[in-house]
Amino acid sequence: MRLRISCKDASRLISQLQDGDIPLWERLRIRLHLQLCDACTHFERQLRFLRAALRNYR
Amino acid sequence: MAEPDFAARCNSHRGYLLRVAVLQLRDNDVAEDVVQDTLLAALQGASGFSGRSSLKTWLTGILKHKIIDVIRRKGREPAFASLDEETQLEDLDALFDETGHWENPPADWGNPESALSQQQFMEVMQMCLEKLPPNTARVFLMREVMELESEEICKELAITSTNLWVILYRARIALRQCLEQKWFAAPGRAA
Repeated sequence: MRLRISCKDASRLISQLQDGDIPLWERLRIRLHLQLCDACTHFERQLRFLRAALRNYR
Repeated sequence: MAEPDFAARCNSHRGYLLRVAVLQLRDNDVAEDVVQDTLLAALQGASGFSGRSSLKTWLTGILKHKIIDVIRRKGREPAFASLDEETQLEDLDALFDETGHWENPPADWGNPESALSQQQFMEVMQMCLEKLPPNTARVFLMREVMELESEEICKELAITSTNLWVILYRARIALRQCLEQKWFAAPGRAA
């Protein structure tokens, strides 16, 4: 398996990360990708914000 | 039975409960019934409210069970007619170019938390949630508002974990796109 992944794969894994454990290997791939990619870093922050916003929803 | 003050406090969350129920059930009459049942159960079980969590959180917990009951009774058939479409990933491929890069890279939202206290923002979010496909909205709210674990949702709705993650991914992509367009990058608004 490659260590480098595309934004397409990274975005799917970032979403999955919010819903349960994903393998350590995948988490490493995400972390590496996020260090190199501003767009996915924004995406990851946005998903965390969505979670906070929904918990705050009224 | 609860004291009138408690009833009034429960009732003040009625609008919120109804919005959540409608988003998940997509049927105003059934949603009204579910909210009515929830408020009734809350008043009858008022002594069960310890005050450790907020009243809203407690009511959401009751609503969660009522909605799951409805889904168990009737939700699996017609309401899930479009589930197949909503678990396909193909149309989401269009968000990326052939090398897997974003066609429209997600923007920096700055400090989005400050939007949470703004009524207008919550209205935009409501509108964006209403635009989600029915099953996507139902599953997403079960996860994010009702705070059910993934395994519980799969069990209640009889879907696979792969179906679940595609639906949640679809919901998050659609919602972030809608919020970016309608709020964070909207003309005249500093992000």
